[in-house]
Amino acid sequence: MRPAIVSLRALALAATGAALLAALPFLLTQGLLNAAIQMLIAALFASAYNLLCGQAGMLSFGHAAYFGVGAFGTVHAMNAVGGAGLLPTPLLPLAGAACGLVFGAIAGWFATQRSGTYFAMITLAIAELVHSLAPHLKGLFGGEAGVSTMRMPAWGLDFGSTLQVYYLTLAWVLVSVGLLYLYTRTPLGRLTFGLRENSHRLRFLGYNVHGLGMLVFALSAMFAGIAGSLQVVSNESANYVVFDPALSAAVVLNTYIGGVKVFLGPALGAALMTFFGYAVSDLTQSWLLYQGILFVLVMMFMPSGLAGLGGTTARLRQRFDLARIVPLVALSVGAALLLSLGGTFAIEMLQRVFSQDYRAMARLQPAGAWPPLQFLGRAWLPAAFATWAVPAALLASGAWLAHLARQRLRALADAESASAAGANAHPSTRLAAHPGGTA
Amino acid sequence: MDQLIVSLMNGIVYGLLLFMVSAGLTLIFGMMGVLNFAHASFYMLGAYFAYSLQGVIGFWPAVIASPLLVGVIGVVVERFFLRRVHHHGHAHELLLTFGLSFIIAESIKLFFGNFPVDYRIPAALDVPAFSLGGAQYPAYRLVMGGIAIAMFVAIYLLLTRTRVGIVVRSAIYKPRMAEALGHNVPLVFMGVFGVGAALAGLAGAVAGAFYTTNPNMALELGVMVFVVVVVGGLGSLGGAMLASLLIGVITSLAVGIDRSLADLLALFGASDWARGVGGLLTLKVSSLSATIPFALMLLILLVRPGGLMGEKG
Repeated sequence: MRPAIVSLRALALAATGAALLAALPFLLTQGLLNAAIQMLIAALFASAYNLLCGQAGMLSFGHAAYFGVGAFGTVHAMNAVGGAGLLPTPLLPLAGAACGLVFGAIAGWFATQRSGTYFAMITLAIAELVHSLAPHLKGLFGGEAGVSTMRMPAWGLDFGSTLQVYYLTLAWVLVSVGLLYLYTRTPLGRLTFGLRENSHRLRFLGYNVHGLGMLVFALSAMFAGIAGSLQVVSNESANYVVFDPALSAAVVLNTYIGGVKVFLGPALGAALMTFFGYAVSDLTQSWLLYQGILFVLVMMFMPSGLAGLGGTTARLRQRFDLARIVPLVALSVGAALLLSLGGTFAIEMLQRVFSQDYRAMARLQPAGAWPPLQFLGRAWLPAAFATWAVPAALLASGAWLAHLARQRLRALADAESASAAGANAHPSTRLAAHPGGTA
Repeated sequence: MDQLIVSLMNGIVYGLLLFMVSAGLTLIFGMMGVLNFAHASFYMLGAYFAYSLQGVIGFWPAVIASPLLVGVIGVVVERFFLRRVHHHGHAHELLLTFGLSFIIAESIKLFFGNFPVDYRIPAALDVPAFSLGGAQYPAYRLVMGGIAIAMFVAIYLLLTRTRVGIVVRSAIYKPRMAEALGHNVPLVFMGVFGVGAALAGLAGAVAGAFYTTNPNMALELGVMVFVVVVVGGLGSLGGAMLASLLIGVITSLAVGIDRSLADLLALFGASDWARGVGGLLTLKVSSLSATIPFALMLLILLVRPGGLMGEKG
């Protein structure tokens, strides 16, 4: 019997997730619901991006172009026919998808001529080309003001409330992510993995590698276009700012923080990062810095991303009994908490000390006195030792816990390999090799 | 005519500046195969360091000290960041430097604010060199060009005429063989990375005073530098020089052209049609000046993928 395309367990999980997302509006306030829409869009964008960079192994630094093209395609479709719209509102993302697909196919034809670093450079150049051209083409991109539009009622719904927009977005994101998942199960999806692993071999097997790469590129751009389209439907406007390199950068960061090896990893990363960006935007001005630091930490210490953490824990669970893992996990979590607390404290204090307001205030003070800073509900003196001792102590204790966790992990691994070696070896040599017995 | 000469000279000076930054980038790529996304961030760091130091130690000492500091940062990046992820492959290294460039830009915003800082050339240097057709040409532009040319000559002599240069070139050409012959190749890599970063820092320290010094300067110049190294051929110093000058001159000249494609088509009597179509056809070349380098890069990648002076791709 052929294995099922989607296992029952995965199907049940997906259904539960979808039901949870559908129930979300009853739990959230209006502001959070808007944030949820942005999270869904970012999740779809990251999933689309991951088709290209994670599954096909083609690193693009200019994916904002396809998001933006989808967005502008939709805004013009909405304004077409004298404002009545080319398509009924629920089907508008199809316009974004079409624009993304066509533009993606053209750009992909260029970009997939080369691979590796060159590919990354071409995608960057195409995105910059569009970005530098867009402000000048006022007819198409509306100049500084952008293009605004209205959601028209359709199918008995008026799309006036955030709730209806949320469900529209949710439906499109679920369908798109579902299609992206099913794509990975098709022969074409398998070929996409082959493109990443060994494109020479694919060519040797007789596949048209350039055509395949272009197709994957176009599909990824199509789903990015849907994401852009959903943003326009939600915001009722589009501006050439969507072509900004910052958006291309954000999707790269989100995708890798989430983890490219797991299908839902990028979506998870993008949703989390967007949520944090929304949640902390009032609290800090340095959110992008935190995001950058998190990205570099992920790249250096856990290349499989946040989603990979689950897999790592499961593997540990398989190898060792629970009693040994719990302290290890506790230590790691403690270390991560302390390190991030210390880091955040230091960055926030620095940010406040170097802010314009504070420097202006310090200048007004008599000769060289540093006025105290308000942070976390108490006053801190920037020149005082105690102020910087707090983050230093947090960071140091976090580093110490991390060191302990590493030691423990190494001890566990040593013990395992020792017992494995012991089981294979002859009893007498076992004693000779390990005089300490089972230590 | 005078205007043409002035914009030609501006273009050459801008091209030389591009070369100062792209030289390090192309050397690092040729050697390690890493396209360092953070390279333009080193340029920005150079400008900001020089800005912070000039109040304390004066302009010229700051211009000398800041590249050294940037070089140290470059060494740290290579030793403690890139080398750690080397076994994950080039894509991983590219992403790591991408993240680092992000962190550097955001840190600059944190310390100096998200706006241009007041980094200026000293009054003694702010004099015209000569006047041409009523317009005065700033001497500092000539100083910048001179520094860049001196740098090119110095690197060229260092690489071709000294023992260090031979070791570096052999490490670029056949790293394993050089290592087998007893040279410390990782040290060479670290050194080249540091020197490349320092060169970018020098460019920043010199040019930041003339152009604006703001947190976006890395991004703005960075993309242009990528264009330069791709057009010139990744890993080729001469190609970087050629492409820098080419792009500098083209962008500088394009700014002065107040014509559009429609005017060109008018020669064939298609003017009305072109104006009817609008869009790209009626855009002035001057407003396209930022776009032309990218179009040029796409063209080069299609017809000569290895770049102007690179190896056949």
